[in-house]
Amino acid sequence: MKLQEFTKGIVKKNAVFALALGLCPTLAITTSVENALGMSLAVAFVLISSNFIISALKHFIPQEVRIPCFIVIIASLVTVIDLLMHGYSPTLYKHLGIFLPLIVVNCIILGRAEVFASKRSVSDTFLDAAGISVGFALAIISVSAIRELLGSGAIVIFGHKVVPALTSSPATAMILPPGAFLTIGILLALLRRAKVM
Amino acid sequence: MLQSSIRNAIRNLGATLVLTLICLVAGVLLAITYDLTKEKISEAEQAEVNQALSEIFPSAEFMEENGYYNALENGELIGYAVIVEGTGYSGKIKIAFGICLDDTIQRVRVITHSETPGLGSKVAEDEFLMQFEGKTLQELKLRKEGGEIDAVTGATISSEAVVDIVREELQRIVEGLLGG
Repeated sequence: MKLQEFTKGIVKKNAVFALALGLCPTLAITTSVENALGMSLAVAFVLISSNFIISALKHFIPQEVRIPCFIVIIASLVTVIDLLMHGYSPTLYKHLGIFLPLIVVNCIILGRAEVFASKRSVSDTFLDAAGISVGFALAIISVSAIRELLGSGAIVIFGHKVVPALTSSPATAMILPPGAFLTIGILLALLRRAKVM
Repeated sequence: MLQSSIRNAIRNLGATLVLTLICLVAGVLLAITYDLTKEKISEAEQAEVNQALSEIFPSAEFMEENGYYNALENGELIGYAVIVEGTGYSGKIKIAFGICLDDTIQRVRVITHSETPGLGSKVAEDEFLMQFEGKTLQELKLRKEGGEIDAVTGATISSEAVVDIVREELQRIVEGLLGG
């Protein structure tokens, strides 16, 4: 177990800004910080558990059919989590339910399965998945904070006003699709310029 | 030559078997989970319906009749409630709403939906649904179509879907059950 397997996923191999993975959910759901929190939790849950299983089965899965195997494992896991959450925790389901089906098509999960989990030990995989999840969470929360602040004028998380209204006429374009491209593009450029990655 | 192709065939067969096995295990796992959670999920859904109904007429009792609910307060009819499902921008939207005795909308609640998080999902929030209260059949249209409902910014299709689902159901009930 090496701690760097965990820390590398946060900044150096940040899923969104360094690997450019998972851009689809990053563009789609970063309209509010609340959404970003929900998506981060759901992704962390699926990423850690699916890559854990894939790493444990790596000697059993033949090279030629590994991608279909990974997809079956990931999709089944997402469905199982979806059903369990709906039945046993309806409140959590109300907040996270709409994000779960989106995770099946999140390429971070398959990307890490292919690059990391299918080659490394279970403990390294756990650290890697946890690190990537934290990095993804930080990325989408910062993008969504910028978009919500400029596009809605205030940041509201589960009914609590975290940042009070700055303006009565916010730039609505920021919570529409163009705002996502602008925010991600500018953040990416700044991070590259500062040589963080 | 022949030997290597036989070896290939065996390897392919092995890969096929492993994939089949994984699909089989996944399928069984899904079936078991579905069976285990089926009852719990329908309970949770029923609880959501009851919750929505009690938000529409807070102090009423509900009597189901022909697919809609009579809302009774101290035994007296104060309105009707219906649960209706329609198609939104990206899936089904399930809505509960109440009708007062004068054919206006009492309150609208979205029970389940799968609209785009952050945009379309705002049609399930109070800010949008408050607009429906007290509206008549004629006023239940988006403002750009001459009605009194403002669409959610960036989610015209989702907003229109909710308005249409409520209006069509209201029309059906006003003409059928109440007017008839």
